[in-house]
Amino acid sequence: MRSLKNPRLALNGRLRASVKNEGLASTILRLGKNAPESLAIQSGEIDAIIDPHNGHVILLPEAQAALVEGKARFRSLVELSTDGYWEQDEQYRFVSHTGAAIGNTQAGTGILGKTLWELSFDDGQQIDWPTYRTQLAWRAIFRDLELRCLDQHGELRIISISGEPLFAVDGGFKGYRGITRDVTDRVLLQSAAPVFEPFASTILDSLAAQVCVLDADGTIVKANVAWRALAAAHRGDGADVSEGSNYLSLCDQLVGNEHVDAIAMAAGVRRVIAGERELFRYEYFCGAREPRYVVASVTRLRNDEKARAIVSYEDITQIKQSEQLLRLECVVARCLADADSTTAALPALIQAVCKTLRWDCGQYFRSDSESELLHLEHSWGRSSAVVARFLARSKGATIRFGAGVSGRVCVSGEPLWIQSSSTQALIPTQAHEIDLNTGANASTEMHMDGTFAFPVVAEGRVLGVLTFAAETIREPDDRLLQTVRSIGSQLGQFLLRQQLIESLRQSESHLQRLIALSSNWTWEQDSEFRFTKFVGTTMSGCGSVLGKTLWELPSMVLDDENEWIRHKSEVRARWSYCDFEYATQLPEGQRRCYRISGEPLYDAGGAFIGFHGTGLEIRRTESR
Amino acid sequence: MTKKTNNGKRRALPKSAIATAVVMRLYIASSAPNSMLAIANLEAICKEHLSDQFTLEIVDVLESPERALADGILVTPSLAKLSPSPIAKIIGNLNDRVSVLHALGIT
Repeated sequence: MRSLKNPRLALNGRLRASVKNEGLASTILRLGKNAPESLAIQSGEIDAIIDPHNGHVILLPEAQAALVEGKARFRSLVELSTDGYWEQDEQYRFVSHTGAAIGNTQAGTGILGKTLWELSFDDGQQIDWPTYRTQLAWRAIFRDLELRCLDQHGELRIISISGEPLFAVDGGFKGYRGITRDVTDRVLLQSAAPVFEPFASTILDSLAAQVCVLDADGTIVKANVAWRALAAAHRGDGADVSEGSNYLSLCDQLVGNEHVDAIAMAAGVRRVIAGERELFRYEYFCGAREPRYVVASVTRLRNDEKARAIVSYEDITQIKQSEQLLRLECVVARCLADADSTTAALPALIQAVCKTLRWDCGQYFRSDSESELLHLEHSWGRSSAVVARFLARSKGATIRFGAGVSGRVCVSGEPLWIQSSSTQALIPTQAHEIDLNTGANASTEMHMDGTFAFPVVAEGRVLGVLTFAAETIREPDDRLLQTVRSIGSQLGQFLLRQQLIESLRQSESHLQRLIALSSNWTWEQDSEFRFTKFVGTTMSGCGSVLGKTLWELPSMVLDDENEWIRHKSEVRARWSYCDFEYATQLPEGQRRCYRISGEPLYDAGGAFIGFHGTGLEIRRTESR
Repeated sequence: MTKKTNNGKRRALPKSAIATAVVMRLYIASSAPNSMLAIANLEAICKEHLSDQFTLEIVDVLESPERALADGILVTPSLAKLSPSPIAKIIGNLNDRVSVLHALGIT
């Protein structure tokens, strides 16, 4: 119960700061001790007292404390949600302002008593003041008027200001009040980064790969330009992959050659959408006439309620073909390294080229510069009756230099091709060339209207021409031209080497024949001078010579001991010797005389490994 | 339907209800504790006993002290029953429910 004798009263500063407590006390005393007002005051049920003489409202302390606390709480909440709070009078002049937003800016210096348009802003010329003032005149609520100003450090701040009109009880306009917010970071961020949606679409559309976004059901919710082009191309096939259609349903419906790939793709997409996999990649080959390799990637999307997976198709034909050509170069190199003859190497090489490039058959024409003709020497074709017939008919064919594709390649030394289905094939194709020689109508029968020929070159000479035929021959790119030049060069080197080996073999054979004419045998010894090889007529009375030195042979006659000592010394000194003569004693007492010549042998490292040489029986003598 | 007015704004009842409606005016001091309590108590009483047969005007004396002065109100919260006769005045936060009902002529 509160005592009236010393009422703890407080003034409502908002209304009447000049009211004195003494006046209030006298006012309360005038109420009378037992008046209902006095009783209510005593029981603590009263918030304010109104002075009947002047209408001043006096808040009791508890009520005033509660109102102050409430106002403080309101301001605290305002400060939490905004950067400033302001009030204007009916002339739109600021009468109060709290917070940091405008107060800390240069524009906000001395803000009280000024209207908003009387302050200076960095972009003052660009602010639509007429519209703003019209809003005020209409007493309309305005929101998010953005003002640019410099803060105390001279840095740009962007302030957003919003306000609403205030009215008195009688409806009279009292002014405006509102809030300010510092939106510098947000505005600068927005101006720095494009709005995401158009930005993402632009990025998607700029990709060469065909990309689409699927939702949880597999429906295409977004597709880029490349995908839409793909969808337009397939629309005629009854395969609708445009936005809004279901990708998984389409995969399930596909039949024919694409069925297996479609099933695999659908399974992968379902696993990614279900979250079982983060990424699914699938590589496949498509296109019957135009070979095309594609890699499909399915990537899981997180943090997006609608989109679940991104599907992209990328054409990797160029990469795959480049890999194939690299592999072909390796295969060709291995073929040539493993082969010991042209007969073994060329069919294997032609086969490797045909299989890799999906060509039907190939032929090697050897160049004969004297007759200026190309002679068909080797060929290979895929298992086909038509191809086999064509190859059989072209056996023994010859082509003149400069005639047809092969003849022109031989003359120019450069690859030449005629594309399949070319309507401007003025140069006779391989099939036509063969026709000229055989009279067979092979070209029509084979449906191979494409030809590719390239020269086999070594030391600047065209040794021959490799010519291929197929219905899938296209204009070669740089990589293919590089590969065929490499193959032509490798094969040229191989053929040249084979020619040299053949020459060497013939030369060696010739030499062997000469040796056979000039000696009875040839021999070889190891580093201890023991015979390891003996070819030709044996020395009479010596039995087997292998494993023995010359002086260890059983029937050797040592007439002149010094001569033997000298010979041994020369041999041990690894000197070549010529026409060393010795004799053997036969059981019947007869002697046989021989002449032997030899030279030391060294291995690749320079180490002595023995002797080799020739032997000749020079005369027979009677026993003494 | 409860017809309540705030800050001196009065709302009219349907014609059929005017004859028996209780017209009241509550004087408060903004959102001071006793004033808030008086509003809550009166709202509960009206809801329970008057249904939509009443008109209530709430006057904030901090906003319109002249209204209080003109009506002879010296303290807030105070409730004035203006009609039907007899008029009555209840001072305090209206915690004494029996006295309030009696003054309003409900019991």
